[in-house]
Amino acid sequence: MSTTASAEATRLLPRWMLVTITALLCVMVLVPVAYILLASLNSDVGVASGEFWPSSFSLDSYSRIWTTADLSTGIVNSLIVCAVTAVASALLGTMTAYVLVRYTFFGRLTILRGLVGLQSIPGTLMLLPVFVLFSSAGNYLGLTVIGTRWGLFLAYLTFALPFSTWVMVTYLRGLPRELEEAARTEGASTIVILWRIIIPLSLPAIVVSGIFAFLLGWNDVLFASVLTRPETHTAAVALQIFGSQQEGGALPVYSQMMAAALICAAPVVLLYLAFQRYLVGGLTAGGVK
Amino acid sequence: MTTLAPPPQKAPPQDVRRKGVTERQRPLWLLTPGGLLMVLIILIPLVLALWISLIDLDQYTLRRWVEAPFIGLGNYVESFSSGLLNSIWISVSFSVLSTIATVPIGIAAALVTQNKYRGRALVRAVFLIPYVLPSFVVATVWRTMLQPDGVVNHWLSQIGIDGGLWLSGPRSYWALVIVEIWAAWPFIYLLSLAALQSVDHEVHEASAVDGATWWPKLRRVILPYLRGPVLLACLLATLNHINNFTLPFVLFGAPAPDDVNVMPMLVYVTSFQSLRFGLSAAMAVLSLVLIAIPLFIYLRAVRLDVHEEGGRR
Repeated sequence: MSTTASAEATRLLPRWMLVTITALLCVMVLVPVAYILLASLNSDVGVASGEFWPSSFSLDSYSRIWTTADLSTGIVNSLIVCAVTAVASALLGTMTAYVLVRYTFFGRLTILRGLVGLQSIPGTLMLLPVFVLFSSAGNYLGLTVIGTRWGLFLAYLTFALPFSTWVMVTYLRGLPRELEEAARTEGASTIVILWRIIIPLSLPAIVVSGIFAFLLGWNDVLFASVLTRPETHTAAVALQIFGSQQEGGALPVYSQMMAAALICAAPVVLLYLAFQRYLVGGLTAGGVK
Repeated sequence: MTTLAPPPQKAPPQDVRRKGVTERQRPLWLLTPGGLLMVLIILIPLVLALWISLIDLDQYTLRRWVEAPFIGLGNYVESFSSGLLNSIWISVSFSVLSTIATVPIGIAAALVTQNKYRGRALVRAVFLIPYVLPSFVVATVWRTMLQPDGVVNHWLSQIGIDGGLWLSGPRSYWALVIVEIWAAWPFIYLLSLAALQSVDHEVHEASAVDGATWWPKLRRVILPYLRGPVLLACLLATLNHINNFTLPFVLFGAPAPDDVNVMPMLVYVTSFQSLRFGLSAAMAVLSLVLIAIPLFIYLRAVRLDVHEEGGRR
């Protein structure tokens, strides 16, 4: 470890504290994480009796879980709904954000404020009217919305679209205008500018806003628990229902549940690993010099 | 999150030349798809929620909700006798407690990962795990660990403590707080880290030359830099705690035990288990009033617009 003068100057804590705090935090995080892994390799009986370190290791839970719970349907549904949500809100968000950032018009600040405010609106407040609207589409128009993937997609947009738009607003306002202006003096139309300049230049941000929209859907339990039928259950709801059934039963299959939890977490963790730099950069950009 | 993170500004101010172009040909039509959709799926439902809170809507009137009887503020009056105040108290105390507990953890984590050392990337990745894991996965795992015969009680009994019940009864409140803290501290960590990295190197060097030891340096020099960003992070974190539905729902199931009957759970159970839609809409609107204060302060503090700050660009 190099301890040059400048590195020494920015060091904020004495070494022993640094080591102690890092170790404590790592233990705090890693014990539950290790528990998921170990419990999923344990037997159901072993987990139920409170073992941390399995008395025998096996991959049984990973093969049995697919028949015990309807996890595969859930994962397929989640992937479809969240992918569509991600693409739709990233693209619509980019278009909307471009106008919001580059042009002034009446009501613009209200919209910007609304985009930020909407992220803190309780989901329970939105769910009820969405549910009533969807069910009246069934009663008055004869359209089945509740229980379909389309309904869920629309419901997720209520949170994903403002969020994606806001991510794009924060990014686009840092983008220099010179290229656009050059293109405009060459006579390029707005569509061309958007397609040829804005979208390629802001691709990382578009990907980030899409991923956040995807995660909003993937992590949701509230909307999916009300707006889906068994055939359209998402992975989150499948796991939640599976979990709530365990306590009443004769032998809880906790090991399989941990395997299921790990499988549900896998796509999210993979997304983060693949786009780590963009995602964390997106979270902390601006502060970093 | 990203809301606090404007990318660095580079271009010099050139407003005068630009205005002529932008005012004349504004492609406002680009707003229509996103705008129409937002009106349809956000504005209309919000107005409808207000309307539902004023009518007597339940499972019998749902099929023809347009004709449901208007009862004015009846739902609001009733919600106060339906456990609303208790839920507000649980929600607020749980959220504030969680925020207060996560701040020192988050700042400490930022302080220890600010300097480069071998293996720091790995430590940073570990610190992000609770933030990355989906809430429903976190809740499922802790629900298993906190079972009466689960691993937590197993450990507690080894050091001579009788664990008892964590998922029902008065302990459930602390279970909720502990799990929320475990899951939420990386948020404070990320924002403190960003703030720490914006501290100029000269500041570090100047205080090193002064020969300040770590605590005075930290308190007098570094922490003042963190105050603004961390306060903003606290506001946002508190709002997130108040609105957190997934964690109590998956940890305890619905209806939740009395001690963890937070606002979102109360609203959910009132509408989708008791099927009292009008009453639950009134409760949801009242919970919006509850978060309006922190939300208002947050909206004032966050930078909305490029044009707001001293005419930059």
